[in-house]
Amino acid sequence: MAGMSDQEQTEVFVQLLAESQGRLFGYVYSMLGDHARAMDVVQETNLVLWRKKAEFRAGAAFMPWAVAIARFQVLAHVRDQSRERCLLDSELVAALSEETEKQVDKLDSMRVALRQCLDNLPTEKLEMIQLRYYRSMSIAEIAQVVGSQSTAVKVALLRLRRSLAECMHHRMLES
Amino acid sequence: MYAPQNAGELKLESPEIDEFEQLVFDWEDGQLDDVGINRLRQLLRQSSDLRQRYVQRQVFAALVQMDRDAGLTTSSDEKVGCDSVLPVALANDSILEQEKPDLRPGKSPTLVRQDSRGLGQRLKRHQGILLVAAASIMLCFVLGRWLVVESRLKQAGSNQSAEANERSGKQEATSAGVALVTRLVDVTWHESAKNFMVGDAVPAGMVSLDSGVAQIEFFCGATVILEGPAQLWLESSSMARLQSGRLRAQVPPAARGFQIQVDELKVVDLGTEFGIAVNQGQAEVHVFDGEVELHQTNGEQRSLMAGTAVKRAEDGALKVADLNSNDFLGLERLNERVRSQKQSRYESWLAHSGELRKDPRVIVYYSMESDRAWTRKLTSSAVPVNRDLDAAVVGAKRVVGRWPQKSAIEFKRPGDRVRLDIPGQYGSLTFACWVKIDSLDRWYNSLFLTDSYQRGEPHWQILDTGQLFFSVRQGLERGKAHHKVLSPQFWNPSMSGRWLHIATTYDVEAKTTTHFLNGEALCEERIPDDLLVKQTRFGKATIGNWSSPTRPEADFAIRNLNGSMDEFVLFHGALTHREVKELYEQGRP
Repeated sequence: MAGMSDQEQTEVFVQLLAESQGRLFGYVYSMLGDHARAMDVVQETNLVLWRKKAEFRAGAAFMPWAVAIARFQVLAHVRDQSRERCLLDSELVAALSEETEKQVDKLDSMRVALRQCLDNLPTEKLEMIQLRYYRSMSIAEIAQVVGSQSTAVKVALLRLRRSLAECMHHRMLES
Repeated sequence: MYAPQNAGELKLESPEIDEFEQLVFDWEDGQLDDVGINRLRQLLRQSSDLRQRYVQRQVFAALVQMDRDAGLTTSSDEKVGCDSVLPVALANDSILEQEKPDLRPGKSPTLVRQDSRGLGQRLKRHQGILLVAAASIMLCFVLGRWLVVESRLKQAGSNQSAEANERSGKQEATSAGVALVTRLVDVTWHESAKNFMVGDAVPAGMVSLDSGVAQIEFFCGATVILEGPAQLWLESSSMARLQSGRLRAQVPPAARGFQIQVDELKVVDLGTEFGIAVNQGQAEVHVFDGEVELHQTNGEQRSLMAGTAVKRAEDGALKVADLNSNDFLGLERLNERVRSQKQSRYESWLAHSGELRKDPRVIVYYSMESDRAWTRKLTSSAVPVNRDLDAAVVGAKRVVGRWPQKSAIEFKRPGDRVRLDIPGQYGSLTFACWVKIDSLDRWYNSLFLTDSYQRGEPHWQILDTGQLFFSVRQGLERGKAHHKVLSPQFWNPSMSGRWLHIATTYDVEAKTTTHFLNGEALCEERIPDDLLVKQTRFGKATIGNWSSPTRPEADFAIRNLNGSMDEFVLFHGALTHREVKELYEQGRP
């Protein structure tokens, strides 16, 4: 960030960091599949990025650099023997990282698209999403609430996810 | 093949995918044991298709949770009016009652649980905390100051409005009218006639003043100063009929052809300034500048040049009269009257503001009066003085407020905000402010938001639908998080740029929330007992915005107001209707 004062550099850096929060969360969450852990790892990543901010140079892309550091943090988290077992081991983190980064790159426009798609969802389908993702209910609990079989709930959720993915894809092509 | 907890095939594309999805569902529900985890890993190692499927699944889950965390959960219960009853709870709420979120700090989450609510509990721990906001706010403290990069934000600004339009697919806003009211001095409207405020569009029809002066600008470009008592019938954007009273019209070349009719007499302007008076069947036309044509019913046309005047008797005969410019109030003299009216309104507000700052119920008060244009601080106006309640202006600009003598804060860019920190705990509350809304670009347009949204913390904002929205956080459960009180729509784009007084009272004794606009109650709603929070608090909070500015596409993370604020006051205790009315009356521009 040549040609800028220290303060300006810091401001630009903070701006970039703030803008990357959603994508960092998306990346880390995809790797860990756990909200609370993902929050922790994103915070750790933020601290590392902050400490290393001198290493970040003007003109360089911020996101690849930030994601690379987030990946190290995820790996550290996964490897840490004192922690409980994560689904992904370090080998799988490495295998999935590239695809995840590609997806997460589009995260901000995906969020807008998802919002639009959720807005147009019929009430009973939206309720299903709410039960699962907002209220974090298990499949068995949802089955009980909607008075249906677990299998039917799973099938419904899978269909819903697919149709939302199609809707988002469509929206993103439009814009 | 893996035997899922709740057997039954999903009948997906292949047995492998079927097994994979079953495994992931069980893993999400915290029901997958070591054998299952190993099998899932094995599947992921073997198949790149499954890896891709897994990533898509996870990214989707992340997105939905971010949507939830952003507090933007539109559901059927969301966009209801003040009068409506409580949101319809999801079916069988009692199941959820048994779950108590695990809030013990430092307790490490466990992934494999026999407890079927594993995932739920882990997720609930962070409900109500805005992850994106939290991280940026932390950084904000590190720096003590939040500055934004102008170019990005300019870009953001333009993208967002385009998106907002595209998103809603709303019809283009329309505003009916043939003219605008631009100035009013000491106006009393005729009893049965329509009342207008400065900035209002005037539709075709009658404007009727008992007294005072109204400046009306026709869309064709002609300006008319109407002196009461007067009755002017607006025919179109270039024609009006003076039934009684006195007017002076200024018609720039672009508006040539502007017509005023008096009975059967038509006064067609050819680019000029003229006056017309109608009194008990007699009419006078005075031409101060340029030329006008008089068209009579008998087809006769007559030209009147600058410096001449005619009088029409009841019998229709036209006679030359003496020109008298002073009888018709011109723009210049109107200016003086406006200025003196503004000065006296401003002085009356100033006196009232002096009283207000001593009101013991004031928690914070920003009159935005005494601050210098360059200060980045909003001085707390309440007495006794407490400098800890001074707020920080970030990004937002100082602009002219309700009167030329007074400043206001303008929120324009996604980063613009005012930061404050209010210690202590309170009960009932009243929020009031003067605000000029340029447009409602965001789903949520912030007036006052606490940084977090924990029990007892209020959020005060305006929805893009033009409804006032107030809530106090009650609990963590989604269905019981808060009681939202939405006013009917009070704002539409035709009110853009007009100073409005907005207030909301939260009364824990009467158990009601009431929204006010310009001193009148918009709606009042009873707070159900289980959602009533008696103890309110704030901590760190923001006026005019919420979380951090993010990338242009992410417009839901931005809640900046697009407009200006002039005077903000927060009371503990619920003001009465009369007191709110008083705030409006004393502060009206």
